[in-house]
Amino acid sequence: MSARWAILAGKVVALVLFAVFLALLPNWISDIRAQQFAYVGIFFIAILGLNIVTGYAGQISLGHGAFMAIGGYTTAILVSGGPKALPGFAEGSEYLNLWPDFLEGGFKDLYTIPIGALVAGIAGLAFGLPALRLPGLYLALVTFGFAIAVPQVIRYLDGVSGGTAGIQLFGNPNLTGATANKVDLPGRTVTFNEWLYHLTWAIALVLLVVAWILLASRFGRALRAVRDNEVAAAASGISLARYKTLAFGVSAVYAGIAGSLYAIANTFVNPETFRADLSLALVIGAAVAGLGWLSGLFVGALFVYFLENVASLDFLPNGIESALKTPGVPDMVYGVVLIAVMLALPFGVGGGLTRLFRPITNRLYTRGS
Amino acid sequence: MRGLALLAAASAAVVALPGALAGGPNADPGVTAKEVLIGGTTPLTGEASAGSGTAVGAEAYFKYVNARGGVNGRSIKYTYLDDGYDPGRAVQATRQLVQQENVFAIFNSLGTTQNLAVRPYLNQVGVPHLFIASGYGGWARDASRYPLSMGFIPTYTAEGKLYARDLLKRRPRAKIAVLYQDDDYGRELLAALESGLGAKKRLIVAKQSYDSTATDIQSQVAKLRSSRADVFMNFAFGKFAIQGFVYANRLAWKPALAYVNAVAASTPVMSIASEGGLNKRTDGAITAAFFKDPAAPAFAKDKGIALFRSIVRKYIPRGDVRNGYYLAGMASAYSFVDALKKAGKNPTRRSLMAAMLKLDEKTNPFVLPGITVKTGSKDRRPLEQARLQRWQKDHWVPVGRVLAAK
Amino acid sequence: MADLVQQVVAGLASGGIFASLALALVLIYRATGIVNFAQGELAMVSTFVSWELIERGLAFWLAFFLTLAISFVIGVVIERVVIRPVEGRPVLTGVIVTLGLLVFCNGFAFWVWGGDVKNYPSGFSTRTIDVAGVAISVQDLGVIAVTLVAVALLYAFFQLTKLGLGMRAAALNPDASRLVGIRVGWMLALGWGLAAVLGAISGMLVAPTVLLDPNMMRPVLLYAIAAAVLGGLTSPGGAVVGGLALGVTLNLLTAYGDVPSSLRLPVALALILVVLLIRPAGLFGRVALRRV
Repeated sequence: MSARWAILAGKVVALVLFAVFLALLPNWISDIRAQQFAYVGIFFIAILGLNIVTGYAGQISLGHGAFMAIGGYTTAILVSGGPKALPGFAEGSEYLNLWPDFLEGGFKDLYTIPIGALVAGIAGLAFGLPALRLPGLYLALVTFGFAIAVPQVIRYLDGVSGGTAGIQLFGNPNLTGATANKVDLPGRTVTFNEWLYHLTWAIALVLLVVAWILLASRFGRALRAVRDNEVAAAASGISLARYKTLAFGVSAVYAGIAGSLYAIANTFVNPETFRADLSLALVIGAAVAGLGWLSGLFVGALFVYFLENVASLDFLPNGIESALKTPGVPDMVYGVVLIAVMLALPFGVGGGLTRLFRPITNRLYTRGS
Repeated sequence: MRGLALLAAASAAVVALPGALAGGPNADPGVTAKEVLIGGTTPLTGEASAGSGTAVGAEAYFKYVNARGGVNGRSIKYTYLDDGYDPGRAVQATRQLVQQENVFAIFNSLGTTQNLAVRPYLNQVGVPHLFIASGYGGWARDASRYPLSMGFIPTYTAEGKLYARDLLKRRPRAKIAVLYQDDDYGRELLAALESGLGAKKRLIVAKQSYDSTATDIQSQVAKLRSSRADVFMNFAFGKFAIQGFVYANRLAWKPALAYVNAVAASTPVMSIASEGGLNKRTDGAITAAFFKDPAAPAFAKDKGIALFRSIVRKYIPRGDVRNGYYLAGMASAYSFVDALKKAGKNPTRRSLMAAMLKLDEKTNPFVLPGITVKTGSKDRRPLEQARLQRWQKDHWVPVGRVLAAK
Repeated sequence: MADLVQQVVAGLASGGIFASLALALVLIYRATGIVNFAQGELAMVSTFVSWELIERGLAFWLAFFLTLAISFVIGVVIERVVIRPVEGRPVLTGVIVTLGLLVFCNGFAFWVWGGDVKNYPSGFSTRTIDVAGVAISVQDLGVIAVTLVAVALLYAFFQLTKLGLGMRAAALNPDASRLVGIRVGWMLALGWGLAAVLGAISGMLVAPTVLLDPNMMRPVLLYAIAAAVLGGLTSPGGAVVGGLALGVTLNLLTAYGDVPSSLRLPVALALILVVLLIRPAGLFGRVALRRV
């Protein structure tokens, strides 16, 4: 009994330390670095969501970039209030007729985050059906197909989405960080980068705690049962339909929030941003983080962001920096590192950490006996 | 309402610049006693990676200038970051250039959507957004709202209208089939063609678009062929432009006249399309050009091309001396150096922008003879002229005189 | 009418491209249970290798077969070095590793050969046959013909040879196979080698059409996956039928059904989804499905 509490206490302490670290980090790094970490936070949320459905419920999803797209576009459309913000190439575009009046003024960006989450979540629930009927790999491929299809559909619906030109949010007064420089919050004035950082990480931490509680509860146990042995789970009375659907729904909510934040951070949305590559990057990040563990998520998110944006690692020595700028080399490094991580740490960083702490946890568990 | 606010913000930013300069003549970021730092984004990887040649070419030209003492004693350092043609990454990379590298100006960023994404930000923080590598008409059109942004090459609209005018002269009763990429680039060209044809718009008997995720466009070309058109407007991009010609050949469609959009019409691309001379569909194809073609015999002895070749050989290892994208980049770089010189001994962003609006270059070695790089306070389009050229077997031959491309 | 037939012909041509890569995907899946996301990129690298050989003066068919041999070796090496260590692991680990391979191969090709489109010769004549007003390109016929031959050879291999039997056994039941003396490890390596060969064939067949550059197989992969899933991941014949059917259906839909070009892929994927919901294993596949 005391062993479990001790371990729980240890995890809570770790979480608190993590939160404190995040809160203090902007003081030690440059402003633009804070913005980069904000993006890490966005990936953190998306990967956390993916972990719920793939790591805990065992349903492979290669389409989470599409849920991000749904969240991001929902936010962009609601914030911009519609066609007026669309660059529109052809003069006299037909976009204007399609817009309902009550959306004209646009919504404040923060309010659109839950809406984006909701819309993405509903889309996620729809995946319950294929999840139920299709064996694992086929499900993976269908979700991959979804990842590819969604940007195409977005381009097609250009009256609503702005098509290939996308939706520009910069300068929109509904955006809390409308200007590039100062954001006026009640009580303080911060830079845009700091605002973005604190926004994403505050949400990320809350979502982390929520996920933790969810996964430790009966819901989480049901998910793990589904993952480990469907037949046994069903035989014990767990409804596969319900839990697979819910797992997709919840994880899509997370991805939708990440997508909304992504739109706010970029102040711009565009189908190219949500290509299939994004979905693959999320899967990679989740695998590196460790599927089925929450502790490695930060590393997974760091991995995905910084390896995709190698140029931001400007503290590297000059020779390495210019080598990394040669086209093709960053991808080669990415691929090699990824394979090496999978070979060396097959259960990701999270699994690795669990193994690392095993001597302690074992000691605690067996102390009583 | 919002527009006014933005205009006010932009004006405030420009007006506030002297305040920022109060600390001294070189208080602008990116300028030191020895160096001027500029940056941009370009698709080093991804489907449009050929376009990144403009960045490579420009960098080579700057190295050449630096080896000769630079501009007013300063070297120009040009940093370009890969955005993979993703506007989201372009936003992040541009912010990094501005906030981490502290560049003096953004130069030669490629892509219409990519630049649309960063334009408001750059204008608000007061960073000049120069020589955008895209033919979108809005750079000049929206200048009152975004005064720090400027394009370089003639617009796609101007190009499309040029083809329309030329076609009406050559074949007033043509039946036109158009192949275009289903995005803003292709649609702008098509719209320009239609607008340029005016009342004769109905000469267009077939329009087929394709999406860049397609593997092949045989289906589209087959449909164009079945319309029995005798003029082929190839507004496709990259490998699809090649496929347009290849399938025309394979499907035995013999249009009497073909036009190819300028971006796709580089000599290497056309060479592949003409399948080593076996594909006659490319013979006589017409395109608009504003830069000299490094692979054309017409310019084999041209001094500008000689300079181009020597720069490529010296500063671009493994570089192809026939690469038109390098040359396009060098043309922009030349004009930038020109403006930087005019910006004075201690250039500021303000003096740079002022110089940008006073260009009057007849000596750009990379631009076609007869074309002037010219800007004014009301004229924000540096290049507004073009010349047509025809493909003859394996090279481009200029035809006719320099035309206005507005 | 001739137009309709022409569109069908064009669809079969596209479909042939999808089918040729789908075959490689199916082979790997049958042999190792993994969907190899890097299949297209490996095929692309093989094609570049053949291009290098041709550039250096080798005759086309000589370069072709030499490349097949090289690709076989590359496939085996990858299996031994990269895939073997993750064999017993969950499906997703294999997927991630192939994604890593995908990214690596793409970067490698960019680094070595650059992003510009390269000219690639065709092994077949570039002539076109005219049949009652319908133009059929010999190149396209060649792609389909070679793919069908490959299917036949694969079928013969798996059903009629001892090695093929061994591979099937190793995939179905590794433990029992070991008990009867089958060297399971090498069976898997052989599977990867053969799949690499099939991929190389696909790449070299389609390069004259889709044109050689590092991203040439990206769109093909998507359609190839769709074709393989449609036909059933375990059925080579199904993959080919799936590919051809997909090509024709998409063409007819966009040419006559008012489906805009940007929606081709989503429509293809929606079709797949519908088929899968009715027949979860695809048209010709077999999957042990337990209804719980």
